[in-house]
Amino acid sequence: MTALKSTVARLFGRFAAEVPGAPRAEFTFAPTTAEETAAILDFAAEHRLTVLPWGAGTHRIGESWVPDVLLSTRSLGGIDWRPDDLTVVVGAGVTVADLEARMADRRQTAVLPENPGPATVGGVVAAAASGWRRLRFGPTRDRMLEVVAATGDGRVIRGGGQVVKNVSGYDLPRLFTGSRGSLGVITRVCLKLWPQGSAAATIAVDDAERAGAVIHRPLAVLQTPGGVAVYLTGTAAEVEAQAATLGGSPTEGLVWPDRPHGPVEISLRVPPARIGEAVALVAAAGFVAAHGVGEVLAAGSFGAAEVSGWRVWAESVGGGLVVATAPEGFGVDPWGMAPPSLPLQRRIKAAFDPVGIMVPGRLPGGL
Amino acid sequence: MAHSKLVRDLVAAIGAGAVKAEPVDLTLFSKDAGVTRGEVRAVTFPVDAAGVSAVVKVAKRHGVPVVARGAGTGLSGGAVPADPSVLVVTMRMNSIEVDADNGAAWVGPGVVNLDLSRHTAPLGLYFAPDPSSQAACTIGGNVANNSGGPHCLAEGNTSVHILGVEFVDADGVVQVVGGLAPDMNGLDVRGVMVGSEGTLGIITRVLVRLSPIHPAVRTMLFAFSDVASAAATVSDVIAAGVVPAALEMLDRPLIRAVENFVHAGLPVDAAAMLLAEVTGHPAGIAAEADLIVATAERHGAFDTRVAADQAERDLLWKARKSAFGAIAQIAPDYYLHDTVIPRTRLVEVLEAIYEIARRHELLVLNTIHAGDGNLHPKFAYDGSDPDQVRRVKAAADEVVRVSLAAGGALSGEHGIGLEKRDLMGLSFSAVDLDAQARLREAFDPDKRFNPGAMLPAGSRCFDFGRVSMGSPLDQVSTRPGVGT
Repeated sequence: MTALKSTVARLFGRFAAEVPGAPRAEFTFAPTTAEETAAILDFAAEHRLTVLPWGAGTHRIGESWVPDVLLSTRSLGGIDWRPDDLTVVVGAGVTVADLEARMADRRQTAVLPENPGPATVGGVVAAAASGWRRLRFGPTRDRMLEVVAATGDGRVIRGGGQVVKNVSGYDLPRLFTGSRGSLGVITRVCLKLWPQGSAAATIAVDDAERAGAVIHRPLAVLQTPGGVAVYLTGTAAEVEAQAATLGGSPTEGLVWPDRPHGPVEISLRVPPARIGEAVALVAAAGFVAAHGVGEVLAAGSFGAAEVSGWRVWAESVGGGLVVATAPEGFGVDPWGMAPPSLPLQRRIKAAFDPVGIMVPGRLPGGL
Repeated sequence: MAHSKLVRDLVAAIGAGAVKAEPVDLTLFSKDAGVTRGEVRAVTFPVDAAGVSAVVKVAKRHGVPVVARGAGTGLSGGAVPADPSVLVVTMRMNSIEVDADNGAAWVGPGVVNLDLSRHTAPLGLYFAPDPSSQAACTIGGNVANNSGGPHCLAEGNTSVHILGVEFVDADGVVQVVGGLAPDMNGLDVRGVMVGSEGTLGIITRVLVRLSPIHPAVRTMLFAFSDVASAAATVSDVIAAGVVPAALEMLDRPLIRAVENFVHAGLPVDAAAMLLAEVTGHPAGIAAEADLIVATAERHGAFDTRVAADQAERDLLWKARKSAFGAIAQIAPDYYLHDTVIPRTRLVEVLEAIYEIARRHELLVLNTIHAGDGNLHPKFAYDGSDPDQVRRVKAAADEVVRVSLAAGGALSGEHGIGLEKRDLMGLSFSAVDLDAQARLREAFDPDKRFNPGAMLPAGSRCFDFGRVSMGSPLDQVSTRPGVGT
């Protein structure tokens, strides 16, 4: 290791970094370009060093392993916003908050998660984290027009393109969305943008199902222990008319609930029509349920047996349960049942990371 | 005629009624709606995944590739075998199982796009992707090409509307990826299957998302005395933060061809027209429509027409979607590219296309999915005149280069297929293409599925230098078909 360390210092010393809050890896780097990132990965593959890409550490799922190499994306910056094309090319290390703030004056949005904290664009894409507005605009993967990544074998690849419609080649932008670093390090993406409505309102209602039936394409219908709220946007006339249909009293603007926090944090993902049953399971805890989407986030002092039981039910209806946070030794796998296409997924990973240095075992099924 | 061992084995596997191999069949199925033709060894019509699996296994034993085909409306040769192949025609896999509670349906790949929306209309639901060939094209083909259509401007291409895919893999095993629940575990194999042009597996069922039918719609037509003003209107509408449901442009040669064909009362004196549609809540579309009208009038629109009722809307859309058929009146053949440019570059790229046509002494007719910058310039010609073929080929190459130079892409919705395969090197580096080839190998290491499509030969392992420009017109053989 000493010889290796001096080689690393000579080759990559200029990228050495301190990253507060990150696992203390043998080597921590913050490269500034895709090519530099690829050079580090090439070296890591040659020496079989495991690698953890790191944005802000906000989307870790039940893991405490320490990699040999921690690759911070914080120096992969840059925002090339093209407001008249409704697209933006953005470095992986840019925070979601900075990106959205930058575009606010033209009322444009990449529809990434609301209240993102320090989360980076690269991290959100790698984790396939979507905001509440996905009911109307689809998940984050539907924003992905182009991806540039340094792969696990140390090459820079690009897929997709910087136009809003493109079917040239396989959809690598979608493949990298949710790959959680298992294929390589996303260094830059091009995202499709949407205009934000000129008016918005949040309306408390009694019945989520009825609201979903009478409102045309709401932004979101969210249920919390406090009740159900419908989120609307559009022109003032449209928001007013839709609010009148609902009959509730609207609050101006979009008042998003906080994501639930607790010792154990889970995400139940079920077919949208089963969400009522999922809510019933966690009704005693803190939760947010996205009607029409099929996701329930819940947090509390859940027991392992209880969570495992919920997972059995969720998987039986064609969904799943992800344990995002749990105390040390909780004893429940973060993902549950491996996807049936696991052997194929293994081959796909190997196509980009043949040595297997990228976050080994992080994906469902130990991939 | 005496059939080969391959055909006899296919008949034994799925029955004589599901296999055709007479010369007339092999010729009929040797091409799609584009310009390329291939060689077919047998045409099969399996009814389910088990039948497809049986075909794949027989073909594997004989070392013959398998190519999937829907209605054959594709324009890029995605269903045309580059090597002698067994065709899997999906038309008999046409079941529809609607799950209205979840706003979704499992459908066979052979279901015709428009039939699906008609089937679900009584439930207030529809399948949003609407290629111009939607009365004929199939859902399987839409998934294979990640097809678009005028309304994908606001609704997104096919991939946005596909929740899951069942397919038969290279070993004949049935795989299911995706599902009704959000964010299914692991890598997004579903996302990769969409747009994979039959190269990764044979799709046997598709879980589609159905969208609520918009309660209100307004369709508008604007006439302009110059093309630049129409294009500038498009750019300004998008820049103003309005994404209409559709924003289509036709230029004068095409307006006249279509009007002769459909008699929709189009403005034949205009240099260009825009067809704009806004959909949504009744109280919401008025403001969008007003903005579009004001923008068009600011750019000199001399005729504005708002469709009064559904019949008039249908007529205007019929006009737009008949563009390809209409051109047949003008010349025996046409050739088009399906490039995409940033929508802010419309004016300059269109001017460049007209200049290219002038220089090569060709008639070019334009229908453009203008809102998303998706160009479909069509050069009319007579395929029996070698000099015209040569000029069209040169012009088409230049269109691709101009589009890419403007920051664009090779194909917006038709796919790469055989037609643009050898142009992929203009868009992607050798390393990019190698990664794509490796991804393909992860699914199909022996290239059993549609081996000639999408990726140029030698994509793997960097064993090619700079890819030469393709010459799809070398294989010109046909008259136009149904297009998008």
